[in-house]
Amino acid sequence: MMLPKKGDPVVVQNITGRYGRIHTRMMLDYGTNVAAGAAPGKGGQAVEGVPVYNTMAEAVGKTGAKASVVFVPAEFTYSAAQDAITAGIKLLVVITERIPIRDELKMLELARRNGASIIGPNCPGLIVPSQRVKLGIMPVSAFAPGNVALFSRSGTLMYEIADQITRAGFGQSVALGIGGDPINGTTAGECLDFVEGMPETEAVVVVGEIGGDAEERLARHVSKAGHTKPVVAYIAGRHAPKEKKMGHAGAIIYGNFGTAESKISALKAAGVLVAMTPSEVPSLVSRALGRR
Amino acid sequence: MAMRLFEYQAKEIFRAYAIPTPKSILAHDAGGVAEAFKGLRHPVVLKAQVLAGGRGKAGGVVSVSDEAAAMKEASRVFGLSIGGEKPASILVEESYPHEAELYLSVSLDRGERSYVTIATAAGGIDVESMSGKVIRKMPLEGIDEKYAMAVAAELELAEPKASRFASILLKLEKLSREKECELAEINPLAVGRDGELVALDAKVTVDDNALFRHPEFAKLHPEDEFEGEASREGFAFVRLNGDIAVVGNGAGLVLSTLDLVGDAGGKAACFLDLGGGAQQDRIEAALKLANRLPECKRILVNIYGGITRSTEVAQGMLATLASGPVKPIYARVSGADEEAAKEMLKGAKVQLYRTAPEAVEAVVKGR
Repeated sequence: MMLPKKGDPVVVQNITGRYGRIHTRMMLDYGTNVAAGAAPGKGGQAVEGVPVYNTMAEAVGKTGAKASVVFVPAEFTYSAAQDAITAGIKLLVVITERIPIRDELKMLELARRNGASIIGPNCPGLIVPSQRVKLGIMPVSAFAPGNVALFSRSGTLMYEIADQITRAGFGQSVALGIGGDPINGTTAGECLDFVEGMPETEAVVVVGEIGGDAEERLARHVSKAGHTKPVVAYIAGRHAPKEKKMGHAGAIIYGNFGTAESKISALKAAGVLVAMTPSEVPSLVSRALGRR
Repeated sequence: MAMRLFEYQAKEIFRAYAIPTPKSILAHDAGGVAEAFKGLRHPVVLKAQVLAGGRGKAGGVVSVSDEAAAMKEASRVFGLSIGGEKPASILVEESYPHEAELYLSVSLDRGERSYVTIATAAGGIDVESMSGKVIRKMPLEGIDEKYAMAVAAELELAEPKASRFASILLKLEKLSREKECELAEINPLAVGRDGELVALDAKVTVDDNALFRHPEFAKLHPEDEFEGEASREGFAFVRLNGDIAVVGNGAGLVLSTLDLVGDAGGKAACFLDLGGGAQQDRIEAALKLANRLPECKRILVNIYGGITRSTEVAQGMLATLASGPVKPIYARVSGADEEAAKEMLKGAKVQLYRTAPEAVEAVVKGR
């Protein structure tokens, strides 16, 4: 995965839709170079001054973009991703929620074969405050340049915790939404590997939640990989009922699989500092940075 | 909204894919059970149709061999509450004498980001604790006979069982792929005296995000009044059994608010996620829904504004308050225009707090 830098051209897929339009404006305002939009049948129009093309092949051909932000409805996301990847996009940030699992798996397979990365789906995207670049929908007021990398399965919880980290005087080297679905294009473990090679990152905060075994896998990865950057985690859902999807398709406990307790104890055993509430995160970040 | 099917629905799908199941009849009352009993070979098994787990332990599965017992047991089973769920129907099924039990499922392995086959030569019990489990990833486009026979070989099944097993695995995978299931499970898969394999139980969970491609599942589940309304409004909603309605924007934020409530000794009446944009009319619809929950005594609102304007949230609250009596609202609303929102709510019957923990403490104490 390559993080976008200031000035890198970005394409917004389904730029003419309601969310595509709103967030194109907000991405431009922050500083992202939204160089083109794609929307089948809408070629020739302009949205917020950004030219719209019918296909990703045209949009990429005109701009040389390597990254796209996907606001395409769930039913059509797979074909939009296919359009993007075959056009040469290497970083797909998929905001769309409610994509069928099999479409997500197909998307991932296609990305893997073509050396592309997928962020999400069902995520707020990513932001690099030092570059004033965001590919996503997060409110920029919560973020400031800094040395904490923030990875989150949840959107609003990412904003909430970013805000608290920022208010505590730290900031984010990168913040990235892993996504609320059972299948994630980029996992927390992959994010950790990525920031290991990112000198401006000095600590990592991972925001997890009930469902699946992503945090248990992360804990095993932390133990095995021998990374140098301290990790702080917060896991939502200690009081959630079993067998119920809690808003996110991925946030569901089956039997004893996917409980917050299991995740917290696995992370603690791997030496991760675990916050019990979002407001505890900044003090643990401070402790983690002090430990180095 | 988790789309788990009832056993009888899952077995209908199994039959459509030619996976062998025992003969059975669905009954909706004790009389229906007696009627079904007459039409089947005895003994039969009465099986409560509930989605909750642990129905066997709860007395929801019972074998009977005469009509009087069938009537009596049917009345008892209809009176059960299994994990809070009352059976609306009983599946009356011919009992199938067998020598051994296998376990077979096709499911999504989230961590591996792949579908997998899980099989063991000892079914019928808790699969999580089973040893000698065969776990094998499957390609998205499906499996072939070679794959299926390799799983049978790993289970050390002899012919003709191996071929029969492979055939069932092929059908189960096809079913899982075509119906877009998160889980398709046979537990137990019984081995009859003649080496026949029969699915005694069936557990199918479908991907609810794929329902737009599967109109056949559209009307499978009766929703309660509140769940129906929430889903029409596009809210993520889970009814819980406490007295504090928890409303917020974003699944993770609401989940973390539930934890704060629980830690403070409170009990949530519901989880209600408004979703991303929290405009005035959405706030109003959510508050009105929460307010109508009979068990709700107080409403906790936790909004991280961000892009949403706090004044919109305040307007939604004011509109709700103007519409009739509303249970006490405790709110934390942060984000753009926070101060203006506070000004608007001055004098209104809403307690505003600076942070989520403060709002939670107040709502739990009921001050």
